Amino acid sequence: MTDAVWTIAKRVITQIRRDHRTLAMILVVPLVVMTLIGLSFPDLKVLDYIAPALLAALAFFFGFLLTGISFLRERSQGTMERLTVSPVTRLDIVVGYLFGFFVFALIQTLIILFYTIYVFDITYRGQLWEILVFQVAVIIGAVNLGIFISSFARNEFQMVQFIPLVILPQMFMGGLLWPVEQMPDYLQWFAHILPLTYAVDGMREIMLTGKGLPDVWVDLAVLAGFAVLTSVLAALTLRKGPGG
Amino acid sequence: MTSIAVSVNHVTFGFGRREVLKDLSLDIPAGTAFGLLGPNGAGKTTLIRLLVGLLRPKSGDIHIMGQLISRKKSPFIGYMPQLQSLYGELTVLQNVDFFAHIYRLHDNAKRAQQVEKALKLVDLWGRRDDAVQNLSGGMKQRTSLACAIVHSPPLLFLDEPTVGLDPELRASFWEFFSSLTKQGTTLVISSHTMDDAAHCDRLGFIRDGKVIAEGTPDELRLATGSPRASLEDAFLYFVRRGKETPDD
Repeated sequence: MTDAVWTIAKRVITQIRRDHRTLAMILVVPLVVMTLIGLSFPDLKVLDYIAPALLAALAFFFGFLLTGISFLRERSQGTMERLTVSPVTRLDIVVGYLFGFFVFALIQTLIILFYTIYVFDITYRGQLWEILVFQVAVIIGAVNLGIFISSFARNEFQMVQFIPLVILPQMFMGGLLWPVEQMPDYLQWFAHILPLTYAVDGMREIMLTGKGLPDVWVDLAVLAGFAVLTSVLAALTLRKGPGG
Repeated sequence: MTSIAVSVNHVTFGFGRREVLKDLSLDIPAGTAFGLLGPNGAGKTTLIRLLVGLLRPKSGDIHIMGQLISRKKSPFIGYMPQLQSLYGELTVLQNVDFFAHIYRLHDNAKRAQQVEKALKLVDLWGRRDDAVQNLSGGMKQRTSLACAIVHSPPLLFLDEPTVGLDPELRASFWEFFSSLTKQGTTLVISSHTMDDAAHCDRLGFIRDGKVIAEGTPDELRLATGSPRASLEDAFLYFVRRGKETPDD
């Protein structure tokens, strides 16, 4: 790991930590969302089945949103231009931001995970540490996807437009609402190129059937591959400033 | 013989079909303050973005300190973009320290020394713990300059560094730029004001993506044939005459 990666990661963390409103939103929004979900289910036992998919989907969504918008801001305020003129490499920049944003995405994930387990009091079978490790793989992919997609947006409005384009199809076709196997063949094919499909599948396997990480290695490998692919794509498409 | 810090050879660049720079050639001697002067939209910022490697020419080549410009960025370059390009939530000190780190000043004691030196030079040492977002425009501009000079680069690109500054601050910026060139630093400064032009050692008048004249302020003024001509008169003279250098 290069010194530049740590320097960038440290700066991202310090910057968000000093922005009290953003920090409060990062902490409060997952709590509000989880409370609303809890209130909308009169029988919390239903959540036992839904929770694994919901945890994967929310972690993915929050990770993507946090990173996409924050990274875009780096470009629109011109700081990215300054960074790209310096001797740091594009990969240093992407990995540095990944580590920085990862910390906050992880905090959000921990909030929704512990809220689900201890406030909703759901019944689950797998090991808590294995659930956590799997969720880490999910959010690394989501954070990298946020960095990559933000390259295609010139402002926050355009970035927000990517949410229905990138997130909603995954919610509908990633096995969150109904099993992938029940979808038409051509949609099943599409579902199998979506990272959330593997995230939902792996979480269900661990939490509902009590399987361990070695049993969900395919899901983990796909998520790890997705994280590597998106970080390379993000480095290749990294745009420097507001205009390009 | 004066060495050349920046050499631009027959560079052409455009955005889509619109050509911004047209077969532009320019040599910038080391240790001078070289002003790129021209109206808004002349291509000054595009040229600076090409010189720092943010853009790549469609044709022609650029040599920086004798080396062909490449994707691998040089730690010997300092760049102050037109936008203030600072992290608003961070303090002045944190901003400058971050760029010192990025420019490979890894030794803590040496970096702290350089950061202090840069902040004292721009007269912001007393405000080092203030968040940048709470500073005035002029102070942000000075912080931005400190970020560009913290690693003591021998070659500094400044894109409209004096825009929006009050006369007093503008004068102090030029005093500082002059002290840098005396130490051997090469400055490439874009501006559209003739006030700035008078402070430069050499000037390149740019219009419609071309260098229409190049020389010292006195050479350019005298080329008009009128000893009392201002730089503005000189600029207009060359606009009318098309590209020409006073040495011709």
